[in-house]
Amino acid sequence: MLAGKSVLIVGAGGLGSPAAYQLAAAGVGRICLCDADLVDLSNLQRQILHFSPDVGQPKVMSGAAKLRALNPAVVVEEYRGRLTAANARELFAPYDVVLDCSDNFATRYLVNDACVLLGKPQVHGSIFQFDGQVTVFQPGAGPCYRCVYPQPPAPGSVPSCAMAGVIGVLPGLVGSVMAMEAVKLLTGQGAPLVGRLVIYNALDMEFAEVRIRHDPACPICGEAPSICELIDYEAFCGGDGL
Amino acid sequence: MSLSDQDVIRFSRHIILPEVGGRGQKRLKEASVLVAGLGASGSAAALYLAAAGVGGLTLWDPGVVTPQDLQGAIAHDWSRIGLPRARSAAVPLRAIYPENRMDVLEREADLLGDLPAHNVVVLSAGNWAELGPAAVRGGASAVFCGAHGADGAVTVVTPGSPCLGCLGAEQASLLGLFPDHGGIAAAAGVVGVMAATEAIKLILGVGTPLAGRVMRYNGWDCRFEEASFGAREGCACWHG
Ligand SMILES: [Zn+2]
Ligand SMILES: [Zn+2]
Repeated sequence: MLAGKSVLIVGAGGLGSPAAYQLAAAGVGRICLCDADLVDLSNLQRQILHFSPDVGQPKVMSGAAKLRALNPAVVVEEYRGRLTAANARELFAPYDVVLDCSDNFATRYLVNDACVLLGKPQVHGSIFQFDGQVTVFQPGAGPCYRCVYPQPPAPGSVPSCAMAGVIGVLPGLVGSVMAMEAVKLLTGQGAPLVGRLVIYNALDMEFAEVRIRHDPACPICGEAPSICELIDYEAFCGGDGL
Repeated sequence: MSLSDQDVIRFSRHIILPEVGGRGQKRLKEASVLVAGLGASGSAAALYLAAAGVGGLTLWDPGVVTPQDLQGAIAHDWSRIGLPRARSAAVPLRAIYPENRMDVLEREADLLGDLPAHNVVVLSAGNWAELGPAAVRGGASAVFCGAHGADGAVTVVTPGSPCLGCLGAEQASLLGLFPDHGGIAAAAGVVGVMAATEAIKLILGVGTPLAGRVMRYNGWDCRFEEASFGAREGCACWHG
């Protein structure tokens, strides 16, 4: 059943590594990795798709090689480049589910808006130090990212992974939960995390679930949307107009 | 044993965390973890332990890699079908962190005697009622994990905490706490990474370990449920 399905994974790093491995193992027919970066030595503490000899290689190339070796039946596609407002819709259109495994706010808003405009389900995950979050945004069935986070945080107010650090196992758990949610969306089985946000703390090994609701005033999925096409996300998250 | 110049860059995202720091990373490098079972959840656990910089990894698994394993166990690949699972898993683990001291146990008889030489043992296979007490009585902490279909469970027994005898075999089975059996990749990832997380917390001495608690994951509903258990009177506890 999964052999006829396809996913696009935005980011072949901490979250994308376990998600891609597990979806390939599960036999999802077509998996596209989208990432512009090269493998860095400091990635290897958490990005299990990349090995020491891969340092300096494009992440999509290094990742695709592992997925093909694990399951040769999977068609693995490599998009080596940045996701932008100019390419997102065309890039997402051929896939059943998009996994947002990115690590920055501009990409998260872009992935969200492109998925809402295309009516495509999205699995969302994020991590910070010892804490993680996972949810599913399914247009028409629950909130979108903007319903929950209408405004990006002030520039500089959220430290990057390089500045704040992250425990290496954290994206492993969050990315694995994301992969399971993708399997549920692809098969139509089970209860995906639509309207539910799972919050995880690795230090205490505790999970909490909070309800998240669709906002009728949401600028992209609300009753009178003001965003009808993709915008400039760097500017939106960089402080312009805030 | 000190951190190499490469280690300082490789583990910079750990070293900057106050809970880890250079001292914690050094502790991880000096530590040794035995991973018994390299099926679905054991694969995920082992990959993340190697990536996190656990310096000593001992691998044991009684089986060989089959095509069916590859639907769940991501430490193997098609080129290693037919190899003993422990030897197969050693390949990516070495490639991830070449400074790691890796040992592959071929015989189950070697396993029992070897358990106490480790800080932590991660068990997703084998006879838990025999291996658990041998590890904990020898001073190691034991992390138990198993994935079955889209479900799985994890718990920790440390020298001093309630043991699986306190929980009881029937209750453990009701909670889904038994070795890997047919786990699908994503669910096994969740369970195996939880186990690796507990192992790392135990080595670092940070956070609240999952001792006296069983964490269950139900993948189809995405529910995480915790059941706690205490010392049972009359239990010939593993540490006792
Ligand atoms: Zn919305
Ligand atoms: Zn006991």
